[in-house]
Amino acid sequence: MSIPLVPQLLRSHLRELAENNQRLDNRSQFEGRDVEIEVGILGNAEGSARVRMGDTIVLAGVKFQTMTPYPDRPNEGGLMCMAEVRPVSGRQHEAGPPSAESIELSRVVDRGIRESGCIDTSDLCIIPGEKAWQVILDLFAVSDDGNLFDAFALAGITALRNAIIPQEKFELGEDRPLVVSKTPIMCSYQRVGGRFIFDANGREELGGDERIHITLGDDNHVHSLQKGLKGAFTAAEFTELMEEARKKGEELRNMVHSLEGGN
Amino acid sequence: MGYGDVQMIDANGIRNDGRKAGDVRPISIELGVVPVADGSCRMKWGANDVIAAIYGPMEAHPRKIQRQDRAVLDVRYNMAPFSTSDRIRPGFNRRSREISKVTAEALESVVMLELYPRSKIRVEIEIICAEAGTRCVGLTAASVALAHAGIPMTDLVVSVASGKINDVVVCDLNKAEDNYGEADLPMGVLPNSGELAFLQMDGDLSPEEFQEAWDYNMNAAMVIHGYCVEALKTGRYPQ
Repeated sequence: MSIPLVPQLLRSHLRELAENNQRLDNRSQFEGRDVEIEVGILGNAEGSARVRMGDTIVLAGVKFQTMTPYPDRPNEGGLMCMAEVRPVSGRQHEAGPPSAESIELSRVVDRGIRESGCIDTSDLCIIPGEKAWQVILDLFAVSDDGNLFDAFALAGITALRNAIIPQEKFELGEDRPLVVSKTPIMCSYQRVGGRFIFDANGREELGGDERIHITLGDDNHVHSLQKGLKGAFTAAEFTELMEEARKKGEELRNMVHSLEGGN
Repeated sequence: MGYGDVQMIDANGIRNDGRKAGDVRPISIELGVVPVADGSCRMKWGANDVIAAIYGPMEAHPRKIQRQDRAVLDVRYNMAPFSTSDRIRPGFNRRSREISKVTAEALESVVMLELYPRSKIRVEIEIICAEAGTRCVGLTAASVALAHAGIPMTDLVVSVASGKINDVVVCDLNKAEDNYGEADLPMGVLPNSGELAFLQMDGDLSPEEFQEAWDYNMNAAMVIHGYCVEALKTGRYPQ
């Protein structure tokens, strides 16, 4: 990816807005964009979701493969999470091998889901030591207007919670739902114009400084944290963000749960 | 199972998805599905679901790819990992490379590249869900997206494939027909001039069967062209 030229003008404009507690699109400091979630939109995936936050649109698709369990964990299957930010999703994204940014993105989303323990890998065992299910979560950016992290995490957990293990196709009995016991939610904050804001859009990302990603599970347990880009923050700032993430996480978790029950 | 072993059309000429020989699968088109792009189009065609997005004209870099007298078209056809029954490993492969190449060459026949010397127009085709005929859907969607981006063009390219199943020539093959059929003839038609900008074929067709498949494609392309024009006027088809 070529290094985006950040006009000093944009940064000073963002600073002026911040001083008056305003944002480019008239949101308040910790206000997210409207979130739309659709489930089951991909005909060939065993679980899928589409998330839209403003002009950011992402897809998540779940596929299953059989694998040989790892020798040290003969009774467990596996989870793999891959994120692709292909050139379709924005003019700044170019073709080629995955950039460091998109690798960070998929690893941070992966950790939040994995470490929450929401998927019981022993439930994925078919024949101990021989055969187990591998769950593959593919995240795909359609349109990048900032904060792909939260969009990917939300689409990812929604797709997993609606996934069906295709046992019939593999001649392993009847299809059954993938058991996902928790709903980890990521909330991302970025320093823009000197203060932290929630759910930065593309222009805020371009003119912003460091970002902080917080993934909270059910009961507000912390499952993954990541600080990215240049900059440093205080303990007091972080405490405030954690408090905000608890509130926002609860709201988004309820939204994910409201989409279930139909299947 | 091999050729001819699977019965895909009954004695009354009804195919396994209920269509008659000359019928095209249901098609819907929506514009502006990639809000950050300069033009975009989502085309659902049967169970196919394809997104095409356009970026540019923009500066062509590195400079060695620039052409002094025209723009270059940078076309990428890609299948998302979850788009098929068996997951596809991400990354370019020989198939997607070939399809990207012939798609680019088809679009170069209609885009007025000479208006934008030394620049580049990016055409991104992403197959989100695949059910046979993705190259046709991708090419058609890309030409609609180019028009949506306001890129001057002499025509659209409307692409459709006909083929042969159980010795019967049929239009717009579905997945089973594509897998077990005896022939496949994808064509890219320029509806205003009646010319072809894209043509491939594999299988076995007699001269008569070939003519029948050709005619099916020509007729279907004209009908689908109508859908594309309506989508470009109103943002979507059907309303």
